[in-house]
Amino acid sequence: MAIIEVKDLHKTFKLQDGRELEVLKGISTGINKGEKIAVIGPSGSGKSTFLRCLNRMEEPTSGTITFKGEDITSPKCDINLVRRKMGMVFQHFYLFPHLTVRKNLTLSPVQLKLMTQDEADSRAQELLARVGLADKIDEWPERLSGGQKQRVAIARAMAMNPDVLLFDEPTSALDPEMIGEVLDVMQELADSGMTMYLVTHEMGFAHKVADKILFIDNGVISEEGTPDEVFDHPKKPRTIEFLSKVLRR
Amino acid sequence: MQMTMRNNLCSRREGAGRGDIVLGIFALFLLYLLYDSGFFTAAAWQDFNRRFYQNFVKDSRYMMLVDGLKSTIFMTTGATLIGLAVGLILSVIRVAYKGGADIPMLNKLANTYITVLRGTPAMVQLLIWNFTIFASARDLNTQYIAILAFGLNSGAYVAEIFRGGIESIDPGQMEAARSLGLSYGTSMRFVILPQALRNVVPMLFNEFIALLKETSVAGYIGIDDLTRAGQNIQALTLEHSQPLVMVAIIYLVIVLFLTHLVRKLEEWLSRGRRG
Repeated sequence: MAIIEVKDLHKTFKLQDGRELEVLKGISTGINKGEKIAVIGPSGSGKSTFLRCLNRMEEPTSGTITFKGEDITSPKCDINLVRRKMGMVFQHFYLFPHLTVRKNLTLSPVQLKLMTQDEADSRAQELLARVGLADKIDEWPERLSGGQKQRVAIARAMAMNPDVLLFDEPTSALDPEMIGEVLDVMQELADSGMTMYLVTHEMGFAHKVADKILFIDNGVISEEGTPDEVFDHPKKPRTIEFLSKVLRR
Repeated sequence: MQMTMRNNLCSRREGAGRGDIVLGIFALFLLYLLYDSGFFTAAAWQDFNRRFYQNFVKDSRYMMLVDGLKSTIFMTTGATLIGLAVGLILSVIRVAYKGGADIPMLNKLANTYITVLRGTPAMVQLLIWNFTIFASARDLNTQYIAILAFGLNSGAYVAEIFRGGIESIDPGQMEAARSLGLSYGTSMRFVILPQALRNVVPMLFNEFIALLKETSVAGYIGIDDLTRAGQNIQALTLEHSQPLVMVAIIYLVIVLFLTHLVRKLEEWLSRGRRG
């Protein structure tokens, strides 16, 4: 059963000079419980915008998005309640620098009165152990390496016990030697049955982990299918061209 | 964290900087001028002592300065607190409006407030509060009127300081907080403001120093602040220089001390979160 369903999603940005830029030109897709979908495509194709529309970090211009049967684009929807169940991991981590790792993880569950501080603390302990950072619970974010920060950010998103995790290029800002540790954590999450949307340039990881690949180009899904279909037997000329560029190296 | 801060506050800069040397030469020059004008003759020294006794010692007149200083500090502290509260509210309104909140009227009001209070002299505002708005409230302690006037005035400046501080925080911080399901207000309070506040602490301190000096016009509505205390001594002793120079020295010492604190604070903040 589909957790998220997207119908005819459009997003138009108003530029500073008054012109309009249509980034998403009608996207319809969805994700089932436990499914892992990797979103790939050239930069500027709209893949991040697509992801950011799913939890309304960007307001869709038109179209509908339903999350567990609820239309979250409707004005009646309380987006804060939806976001509790839709975690997001950002390219630049965005840990809260004025809070320790522990507080980064527990701020939201405690403030929203979903857990007591004690409950949230033990959950934080558990999650940090899971991402291999149990000893960093009282550390300050700026003391961590990029890879460690991103693993904390993943744990922070998990602290809300979300139904879906949205990854927005989670390894793009990392030094090459730190990409592996973050991908390992994501692999483990995937294996545990987490539902995941992943915007990425890590084609190898997408191939290995994803159930489905969406190739977004120029604001539309230009090709989709299993990793084997898209990576090994692409049909559209644009997909072939893109893959030949990113896989050649 | 605390320990490091203490250590920083206790550490001393080694040697004299260029500023200290310039100051030293200036002081020597001043001493020479005094010497040249016969200041160091025995008669002049005696006269100085006699007037000093008249101005500050006799009938415990120094207590007038002490009470004046108390009043100045009381007004400055009260006005600072009001300024912080007003400034915080105004800046959050403006930032929230810019961030898409549907509060055009509030924003307009905040903008008007800031424009008017920054665009007119604090002293004129003080006079208006005392002689127009609270003209009929004669049993009200005028110090409270001054605190209100200076506080509301300071709020307009503090608002701009806070706004700058909030806007200096990466928008990703707000996104990350919102992505966890926190509301705009909760994100502001627990994620954005603590970081913004940390960035603007030195500027807030400077505002506090400016306010301290600004309260010297409180005498115009009959408050015996530090400045007015100096004038009161003048009136008693018909002495033209010593009381006011003493007042100036007291202001200067306080301001220099506070400036020193700001500098230490800046050093500590720029060292990072844990020193």
